[in-house]
Amino acid sequence: MIARLVSIACLVVAGAAQAANEPEFVLTIRDHRFTPAEIRIPANTKVKLIVHNQDATPEEFDSHALHREKVIPGASKATIFIGPLAPGRYPFTGEFNASTAQGAVVAQ
Amino acid sequence: MRSPASFALLTLLLLAPTAHADPDDYVATPAIEYGEREIELRLGTATATEGQRHSAASLAFGYGVTPWWATEIYGKWNRSDATRFDAFEWENRFQLSEPGQYFADFGLLVEIERPQDRAAGYELRLGPLIQKDFGPVQANVNVLLKRHYRADEPEATELGYQWQLKYRWRPAFEFGAQGFGEVGPWNDWASAREQAHVLGPAMFGKVGLGGRQVVKYDAALLFKASSAAPARTLRAQIEYEF
Repeated sequence: MIARLVSIACLVVAGAAQAANEPEFVLTIRDHRFTPAEIRIPANTKVKLIVHNQDATPEEFDSHALHREKVIPGASKATIFIGPLAPGRYPFTGEFNASTAQGAVVAQ
Repeated sequence: MRSPASFALLTLLLLAPTAHADPDDYVATPAIEYGEREIELRLGTATATEGQRHSAASLAFGYGVTPWWATEIYGKWNRSDATRFDAFEWENRFQLSEPGQYFADFGLLVEIERPQDRAAGYELRLGPLIQKDFGPVQANVNVLLKRHYRADEPEATELGYQWQLKYRWRPAFEFGAQGFGEVGPWNDWASAREQAHVLGPAMFGKVGLGGRQVVKYDAALLFKASSAAPARTLRAQIEYEF
């Protein structure tokens, strides 16, 4: 039992160490729009997306293709882990302002 | 799922015998939506096992208090021979890791229930919530311990579980399977004949109404997987998020 717990703890620590080495990409929300609207990342690689909401109001990063939903309060940052992704285009929206907040992750 | 140990753990949990909880029970997930408010209705009905059909309904209000903590207050009703108020429940979910950060996503469920039958004392249910994506398929496994405190009759700590597989086809319609079960005392499982295990097809979906308003649903038709289980259970959940 103790050996099993130690194994699980090692897996978590290894995962944490791996997570710390993800390449980072920055996405900005301003005036209810994403900048850049299209963000290119390496395919088959897990990446860390730093989303900086510069608006005063909250926004929700929402993507069915990426399987991510995350609320980012106004004037704050959030981290979203995505991938590894097969090459392709993965759209996302700002659910609270979906008419303007549109974008896509392009894995290549 | 990359590591053999994590694959073995998930396989073990999925193959464990399924058991039967309240007919309106649902599969809890670890992700929290900060600032989200929701009104939730759950319904469930199971065919008779000992003379009476058993049905249950729950109405709840929930709130994402922080990026890692969501809380929900339930009123619960049930119906066997007559409809009656059953209990208040305070549910808390804690997100322990960011989705996608590790080889699986982790959360913790802590529920405290105060049954209307005061002789039942308080019921505490808690356990880990585990989620893993396999491409477009989402897998969830929750292992939950349940125990009554301050009850007239002393009760053992019971072990239960929930699982689901969901093919994420379209936002408005996803499909898969769910299962629920309780195996008896955590350290002295009941015999297979005494365990009630149910599993069956399920469907899920989400429809945006504009802005922060979203309606989510999930429903399942569960069939007996052991002799003590009800032949069929129909369960459904609908949430209005705003």
